[in-house]
Amino acid sequence: MMPTETSSLSRGEMLKRLRAEHGESVERTQQLLREQKRVQQEVCKSIREKAKTVPEIAEELGMKPADVLWYLASFRKYGLVVEEGMCGDYPLYRKAEEK
Amino acid sequence: MSEKPKIGVYTCYCGGNISHTVKCEQVAKVMADQPDVVISRTNMSLCSDAGQSQIEEDIRELGVNRVVIGACAPSLHEPTFRNTVVRAGLNPYLYHHVGLREQDSWVHSCDCDGATCKAVRLMSAGVAKARFLDPLEPIRLEAEKQALVIGGGVAGLRSALDIANQGLRVVLVEKSPFLGGRMAQLAKVFPTGEEAQRLLSELIDEVVQHPRIGVFIQTEVVGVSGYVGKYGIDLLQHGRGVTAENGEALAAGCTQFVPDEFNYNLTERKVIYKPYQGCYPALPAVDWDHYDGESILLNGKKEVLQDQAQPYQLTVGAIVVATGFDPYTPHTGEYGYGELPQVATLAELIRHLAVHPEAKSLRWNGRIVRDVVMVHCVGSREIEGVDALQEDGLVNNYCSRVCCTATLHMIEELHTHFPGLNIFDLYQDIRTYGRGHEEYYRSALSSGTRFVRYNGEDRPEVIAALEGDTHPVLVHVKDALTYNQELEIPADLVVLATGMQPRQIDDLVRMLKVSRGNDRFLLEVHPKLRPVETAVNGVILAGTAQGPMNIQESILAASAAAAKVVSLLGSGQVELQPFVAAVNAAKCDGTGACVEACEYEGAIALETLVENGKEVKRAVVTAANCSGCGACVSVCPNRAIDVQGWTLAQYEAMVDAIAMDIVDLVEAE
Amino acid sequence: MTKIHVDALVVGGGIAGMQTALDLGDQGYQVALVEKEPSVGGKMITLSKVFPTLDCCSCITTPKMSAVAHHPKIQLFTYCEVDRVDGQDGEFTVSVVQKPRYVNADICTGCRLCEYECPITVPSMFDRGLGSYHAVRVPFSTAVPQIAVLDIEYCLLCGKCEKVCPVGAVDFTQTPETFEIDTTSIVLATGFEMTDVSAKKEYGAGRLSNVIDPLMMERFLAPTGPYGRVLRPGDGMEPTTIAYVQCAGSRDETLGIEYCSRTCCMYAIKQSMLISGALPLAEVTIFYMDIRTFGKGYEQFYQNAKAMGVEFVRGKVASIQEDENHYPIVRVELTEEGRVVERTFDLVVLSLGMVLGDPLARFGLQPAEDGFASLPSVNASPWATTRPGVFVAGTAGGPMDIVDSIVTASAAASAASAYIRSKTQVSIEEGEVAYV
Ligand SMILES: Cc1cc2nc3c(=O)[nH]c(=O)nc-3n(C[C@H](O)[C@H](O)[C@H](O)COP(=O)(O)OP(=O)(O)OC[C@H]3O[C@@H](n4cnc5c(N)ncnc54)[C@H](O)[C@@H]3O)c2cc1C
Ligand SMILES: Cc1cc2nc3c(=O)[nH]c(=O)nc-3n(C[C@H](O)[C@H](O)[C@H](O)COP(=O)(O)OP(=O)(O)OC[C@H]3O[C@@H](n4cnc5c(N)ncnc54)[C@H](O)[C@@H]3O)c2cc1C
Ligand code: SF4
Ligand code: SF4
Repeated sequence: MMPTETSSLSRGEMLKRLRAEHGESVERTQQLLREQKRVQQEVCKSIREKAKTVPEIAEELGMKPADVLWYLASFRKYGLVVEEGMCGDYPLYRKAEEK
Repeated sequence: MSEKPKIGVYTCYCGGNISHTVKCEQVAKVMADQPDVVISRTNMSLCSDAGQSQIEEDIRELGVNRVVIGACAPSLHEPTFRNTVVRAGLNPYLYHHVGLREQDSWVHSCDCDGATCKAVRLMSAGVAKARFLDPLEPIRLEAEKQALVIGGGVAGLRSALDIANQGLRVVLVEKSPFLGGRMAQLAKVFPTGEEAQRLLSELIDEVVQHPRIGVFIQTEVVGVSGYVGKYGIDLLQHGRGVTAENGEALAAGCTQFVPDEFNYNLTERKVIYKPYQGCYPALPAVDWDHYDGESILLNGKKEVLQDQAQPYQLTVGAIVVATGFDPYTPHTGEYGYGELPQVATLAELIRHLAVHPEAKSLRWNGRIVRDVVMVHCVGSREIEGVDALQEDGLVNNYCSRVCCTATLHMIEELHTHFPGLNIFDLYQDIRTYGRGHEEYYRSALSSGTRFVRYNGEDRPEVIAALEGDTHPVLVHVKDALTYNQELEIPADLVVLATGMQPRQIDDLVRMLKVSRGNDRFLLEVHPKLRPVETAVNGVILAGTAQGPMNIQESILAASAAAAKVVSLLGSGQVELQPFVAAVNAAKCDGTGACVEACEYEGAIALETLVENGKEVKRAVVTAANCSGCGACVSVCPNRAIDVQGWTLAQYEAMVDAIAMDIVDLVEAE
Repeated sequence: MTKIHVDALVVGGGIAGMQTALDLGDQGYQVALVEKEPSVGGKMITLSKVFPTLDCCSCITTPKMSAVAHHPKIQLFTYCEVDRVDGQDGEFTVSVVQKPRYVNADICTGCRLCEYECPITVPSMFDRGLGSYHAVRVPFSTAVPQIAVLDIEYCLLCGKCEKVCPVGAVDFTQTPETFEIDTTSIVLATGFEMTDVSAKKEYGAGRLSNVIDPLMMERFLAPTGPYGRVLRPGDGMEPTTIAYVQCAGSRDETLGIEYCSRTCCMYAIKQSMLISGALPLAEVTIFYMDIRTFGKGYEQFYQNAKAMGVEFVRGKVASIQEDENHYPIVRVELTEEGRVVERTFDLVVLSLGMVLGDPLARFGLQPAEDGFASLPSVNASPWATTRPGVFVAGTAGGPMDIVDSIVTASAAASAASAYIRSKTQVSIEEGEVAYV
């Protein structure tokens, strides 16, 4: 690995510069984060008591099923939800037990 | 053994390959409780960098000094993990590999509990063995920095050149009297349209002028001994029968004619011959197989020629097998071949056109040809139960890969030289897969070739037409492109796109101890991990001896083979596994039973040693010649011999462990 | 500026580049391997199981990844991009840009605490957008090197990762750095990309949620995939009827991609077999023009799939639309029956072709008509590009599968080695031994 050049600027100055350079993407990401937090809360609430399929959650929350699946995949990866059986051709998802 | 064993046990999921059947966590738990085990872990993929690092860490941090891994087959990753433990400072032979995939999960995929029990037994045996592991050193041998290349076709030539260009010496052996192999029989080649013979002669020039390459023509390999790094090779070089001074004159004086196999017997040649103008060597040769021994007139004198064959012996470090292919020869009657004169193979048509370069019209067997039918997949993609068996009772179920493009290339040639021909192309799938190949397909479509798709289970039939018909033969075929409509195509010439089969090299296969696949081509170790190496150390494959390939692919395989040879021999040393017999001199009393039992020359012998001032006989092993088969171990009355790495003590411990009572262990879970 | 001297520079750390580097390293040459992504592995490491042996893909790839990282003769540079190649004839100077990871590669231990701490979730490109990871992450579980990388485009600059890192590896002061590699030879192994599906309007141009590309299916079939099973991405249904559309983006004059991509027949057959294993009730249909299973053992593989019940239908797919429930409808001209039919499936996979991955211009090379590197003498030296000393390995030289990529990689190593010898008097260290 090449030692990456460290800028002569201090950390604080550098962060300031990054914020200036990436202002747009930071703002976009902050919005995304708010959205993600909202969805996470809503989805987790929806499946806390009862395991549900993707179309059920989508219908309930008024979201696109594809987006719901993406969130569930992510929650599953980081241990927030678990799969629990099938309903017809659709797997059921439930909120994982809190550790 | 000085240090107390501290065993690390690792059970790999193999990305699900093992864990889908074997309950790996349970296995790991059981192993953790075995004596001397200090750590037992599972991993999704142990061979990954992270998995390997974990093992290294345990060796360093926990003082693990014996490693047992349950994973895929040792043939796949034993070398990988040997390197891992070495990186952590352990002797590479203090690691034992248990095949949980091939030996367990893959073969018992329907029985998870049974497979888990078996895994526990296998792993326990591994742990039991690990307690008795001793550090070993690989056997280091001088390697001859010279390679043998067998076969002087494009693959052999390229391989020889590449090895020599990387600093090693090469001996190239060609059985026939001329270099170039099958490629010399081609005219213009796809995908570039270059002249095959011109391409070849450029390559041959480089090879024969190379200071590090020795070329033996008309030479056979008659003996192979030894092992990687030091193979002893016996060659027999046949006499050329002529000299530079008298060659042309003898050829001129020769009156014996035989069918010319270079032209697939379409023409004749003399028994003193050159296959084509521009061949290498340019000197004619005597075809000893057919020479009738009669005298030949030379400058008014009668000469009888004799094959003064000359044996040679040499030592090489590695062997490249580039013995090439034969075009498939249809059985008599297969699509009318051999019975109807208007049926030919594609290879024959190529030679026919090469022999008649000036022809204004296409003639076959004296007849002007207007309607041609090309048939794909002859002798290829055969189906068991549908197609007639080959001589060895198998069907050629493989695709020969070059015939589709070669056929469409031929169609383009025919259209160019003989405008107005009517061409039908009977195929199953058009496999013009390579760069610049699909172009021939499009060209054939745009030149009006009529494509007819047949089903492999319902191959076309070629029959003789009635006398007085407009055409000599009729081809019957069901066309899947027009709802299986039955077609009868009258034809002047039927061209069979015959596939490839390996040359007859039974002797060589036996001498080299290499294996062949079901398709009879030589077998590589693993198509992805070691695609040009055979299971025999130091025997490498190049070109169509391994399977159908075109020129470009043969060259690539040949160069890849060269890379392997250079990696192997470049340093002048090779390492062999130390799994060979070792004699405990203290227990040996020189009975010699082992020497009698041994099947390998020079592996074990009785030597006279002086012990306490007395002369005694003791068995002594020459590691390089020992195969590690263990025949000696089984006959020694004193248990004085062991195969290192697989000692009797290790086996006993493994057997005890395998037979132990584990039901409670597993069911307790 | 830092300068490094090597005998061979290998550009691209896919299977081809890794094999070339290993072969050259084993012969004792000093090798630099430059990969533009944060991990080596290329496309292959994203696959599930690989034909024709159906080995699990990581069993073949990860050890090679590990080997290039540990090889004493190979210097590995990840997250680095080649900027320019100057010089000629065995004296090349290559300028390379190390992109900032915002993580100090020398001290990061790959513990992933930063990843777990990062609040933002982003689509994982390793899972072709269908899975997720965080803005700072180790790119995937078997990545080499196991070092985190921070995606500044998705970063909130909140500093949480910086705080949680136990070794203080997160470093916002990094900037791109250019360094130079002096080398005698270059092997180009920059690989392929799949045909851009958005150009194929008839097939939905990538806008139909249950029409996917085959690398997505590879991820579904892989044990580490985004859903841990095969589901259709539109709504999480376990599909029962699945269609493959062959030559989608190959052999297609309308797209200007007239060549055959060589691998799609085989990967479609492979995936069908793996689907049958994963979903025993699934019915797989393959719509094709010609099945091109030409490689060693491949025809047998095709026949096995037929015997397993995979349905092969000869036909040209004219268009794909979806019904109101987003089930794809395939309109296909059945050549054998001479009629056009419409069939509805749960999921459709487009067997997309291969196109060149990375532009050739920065290497001073000309593309051939098909876009891949122009190879002027394929029947004599199929590894040679138009620039002496620059060789090609793997799919940068045209579509091919892994077996062929590995063979071309070893062939390129042979060619580079002979070239290096002809240009310099390299002394391979005495006493180095080949491992047998
Ligand atoms: C009809 C037809 C048309 C083709 N057209 C094209 C084309 O247009 N373009 C293209 O790219 N490819 C074409 N090919 C493929 C091409 O011919 C092969 O790829 C190429 O010739 C393979 O070379 P090789 O060196 O592997 O084998 P070979 O050419 O068969 O060479 C093997 C050599 O080994 C020698 N040998 C065999 N056994 C021994 C032994 N025991 N000891 C010593 N020597 C031995 C043989 O005498 C021979 O010289 C065509 C093939 C066919 C059948
Ligand atoms: C869906 C699918 C399934 C497949 N399944 C199989 C299978 O089962 N069996 C099989 O044999 N084959 C299969 N293949 C084919 C296989 O993926 C390829 O043959 C193989 O991955 C090609 O490897 P490569 O190294 O040539 O290219 P790549 O894998 O594309 O690697 C190229 C590397 O170079 C890097 N790179 C690119 N440009 C630069 C640059 N400028 N600087 C630095 N680095 C750069 C890239 O990031 C990448 O890591 C499949 C292909 C697909 C699409
Ligand atoms: S290349 Fe074509 S003609 Fe030859 S066996 Fe294969 S499919 Fe048949
Ligand atoms: S490999 Fe098969 S699917 Fe791919 S382009 Fe070639 S013929 Fe079409």
